[in-house]
Amino acid sequence: MKKLVLLALVLIVSVSLFAGGATEAAAPAAAAEWKAMGTPLADVRIRQALRYAIDMETIVDTIFEGKAQLAVSMTSPGSWLADGLNDYAYNPEMAKKLLKEAQWPSDYTLDVVYYYGDQQTVDLMSIVQQYWAAVGVKAQFRKLEGDLAAQLWVPPADRVNGPSVVKWDLAYAAVAALAEHEFYNRFDSSASNNSSLPKKPALDALIAKTNATADVEKQKVAFKAVQKEMSENMYNMPLYHQLSFIYTSDKIDLKGGKLGNDQFSYDKNLLNWTTTRPDGMMYTNGGPEEFYQMHAVNPGLFLYQEILFDRLVNADENLTPTDGLLAKNYTVSADGMEMVFELRSGVTWHDGKPFTAEDVRFTIEYSLQIPGLNAVAVTTYSSIKGAKDFLDKKTDHISGIAISGNTVKITFDKLDPNALLTFSQWPVLPSHLLAGSNPVTCQQNAFWQKPVGTGPFKVGQTVLGNYGILERNNAYFLKGTGNISKIFMHANGENDPNLQKNAEGGKIDYAWSKSVQDAKGMAGIKGMTVNPVNIRYTRLFYINQYPHPANIK
Amino acid sequence: MLNFIIRKILMLIPMLIAISFLIFLGVDLMPGDAVDFMIPPDALSSVDPVKLEALREELGLNDPFFVRYVKWLGNIVQGDFGYSLQSGVPVAELVASKLPATLELSIAALIISTLFGSLLGVVSALKKGTLVDNALTVFGMIGVAIPQFLFGLIMIMVFVFKFQWFPVGGRMTPGSEFFFMRLDYLVLPALTLGLSLTAGVMRYSRSSMLDSLNKDYIKTARSKGLPEWRVNLVHGLRVAMTPVAVLIGFRLPMLIGGAVVIEQVFQWPGVGQMFVMAVRSQNTPVVMMVAFFSVLIVLVSSILVDVVTALLDPRVKLS
Repeated sequence: MKKLVLLALVLIVSVSLFAGGATEAAAPAAAAEWKAMGTPLADVRIRQALRYAIDMETIVDTIFEGKAQLAVSMTSPGSWLADGLNDYAYNPEMAKKLLKEAQWPSDYTLDVVYYYGDQQTVDLMSIVQQYWAAVGVKAQFRKLEGDLAAQLWVPPADRVNGPSVVKWDLAYAAVAALAEHEFYNRFDSSASNNSSLPKKPALDALIAKTNATADVEKQKVAFKAVQKEMSENMYNMPLYHQLSFIYTSDKIDLKGGKLGNDQFSYDKNLLNWTTTRPDGMMYTNGGPEEFYQMHAVNPGLFLYQEILFDRLVNADENLTPTDGLLAKNYTVSADGMEMVFELRSGVTWHDGKPFTAEDVRFTIEYSLQIPGLNAVAVTTYSSIKGAKDFLDKKTDHISGIAISGNTVKITFDKLDPNALLTFSQWPVLPSHLLAGSNPVTCQQNAFWQKPVGTGPFKVGQTVLGNYGILERNNAYFLKGTGNISKIFMHANGENDPNLQKNAEGGKIDYAWSKSVQDAKGMAGIKGMTVNPVNIRYTRLFYINQYPHPANIK
Repeated sequence: MLNFIIRKILMLIPMLIAISFLIFLGVDLMPGDAVDFMIPPDALSSVDPVKLEALREELGLNDPFFVRYVKWLGNIVQGDFGYSLQSGVPVAELVASKLPATLELSIAALIISTLFGSLLGVVSALKKGTLVDNALTVFGMIGVAIPQFLFGLIMIMVFVFKFQWFPVGGRMTPGSEFFFMRLDYLVLPALTLGLSLTAGVMRYSRSSMLDSLNKDYIKTARSKGLPEWRVNLVHGLRVAMTPVAVLIGFRLPMLIGGAVVIEQVFQWPGVGQMFVMAVRSQNTPVVMMVAFFSVLIVLVSSILVDVVTALLDPRVKLS
């Protein structure tokens, strides 16, 4: 059915292409303003026209079967999103008008790149190509392979005049953000990954304001101003927000536990969950295939990452830091430049060794050297006073981390508005097991074959590539009222091809995915409930506005 | 025969070196490297490239191609298969942990396909032109035509979801580590793989048996007044099994590497799944070890086939 709708869409767009051809032929040919700038994409009218030409509403209804949200900004709908942003609703006539005004060169072929290999992406790229063709814009799409960072994110030496280092006009990509800053910091002219947007002083100033305060309400105001600036100028082209889907079986009761963004870590109330299975087992997926994944990139992508380890601070389902966890309590100075964590006493690692303040210091110093550490954590840790000297090996420890008994005081050199968020996401690691090992090859450490944490569950029997069992940690400092004593994890990695089969066989009680196809299939399985959840995950086109010659001649 | 075997084994060495070089080159020519796979594409934009380079350096990925190949070859000669680039686990340990699952599945499937295939093929040949023969021919056609993944899914739908006789997938659960305690996990994948291979063996043994039954020595045996069962099974079947043995021999390596689809459908944690993952993540040491052993098994099987053929067929002489 979906294919038929898609085919119909392509036909409709193709017909309108023929209808629109005559109009475009009459447009002025050359001598446009864009020539002076080195790329037609430097003209805002052309960028806006490309967005007006795409009927995202129909795409969401067909390709995504309604299981995605239209994007008017990188920010998802909610309290962080500005009101009144232009939604650039489908308007091919407006697109043609803008292209004509800007003297779009009809012989120019856009070079569009993407890196996903799934069918949905291929379908989306095909239909976008048709929509653009319908307004007289030719585009070729190609899938990138290999070193994506080098092909996508290398900025030019000259952030004002370019020329562009990357070789594309538009790049289809996604941003999975833990914090709003991740959506917008990348468009700052000093960002190391800003390969597409030349320096815009007004935008830089607005982005700086979002980073200048730890006050959430002030941040929201600042972000809304950034969104407005980005939308009006179409500096990038947000397309849709992806949803995540959490699947729960009728065998478990979450006892009021909230469902949230499972790409990251939040308090699920798991110790209070109950199951009707007599053996107290809960079935899930995402078990280890070759190793338990470390937290550097994704601190909570897999359930085990969340419950084998503890964070200093808890976060709720919206990923907002709430209260202390390993820290009995904590304080943040008014200017956000100092944090004091008073740690719980009597906490032990799963191997019985005591958890200490030294573990906190070790975790920060060790993690800072891990390749691939998430940008949010990197920003927090490197903002601590003395972090640079430590990395440059001038000091043995980061001077901004002071330990006194069970208290850890962290002093920052510069404000990091997401510091508390970092301490609610990245867990504390055991120094007695990892100290002396090379952080560069952290994931290759034998520790990750059977990791040891302080969390409410510990690693039980694991047959890598087959299953992993987590057992309730009876020595845990919180008890809970639930009866889940073990968690069975099918070893299927992030994109689980066997999710529906296992659910149909009664062997999934809790799982999540971002796949629309999974959600559709799981909805038809007796005893399973599909819970859609909004997450900070936006798909977009980056638009290369640096001067660059046409790639496709 | 001993001379023949020794000569063949000596010839294996240059062949293995040449093939391993080609595989190493093939992996190297793939775009990107193992580090590219470690960081999800969506997160790449915010990762410090200097640290990624440090990781590449640490894993030895920055060395020139020939240096890496010679190092690998040198280590292999000393019995060191290296470490998985993803987990740091010694490759030999990794493969050893997966091999029992694959062998278990492969051997079960081989036994099923050999027994059923040979038996049904002989019956089909002896009942040539009858309803039984036609029915088995249709069965054979379907068996050859139906894709393994589809057959596997049908088996799951019928025997797992409908009748709930078997578990949905995996190889074992806690407490069922001993072979006989987890036979229920093996039944469906082994049957699926075995039956899908049965059709080929059956068609092969049927035509081979028919060919054999038309030979002069069969007529001679009949003219000597031997009972029909003896003519068919002792004189006909023995020679008819020669090409079947060749087919089965060449299937040995295929069962190791060729069970990928079945392993995926039944979540069977074998070498096939590991190999696919290793290729995707450009985990060269793992790819090389699995490929190396697959090639070795192919070459050894080929020697075995020659030997078995000589043993089965008195007309064949090894020289």
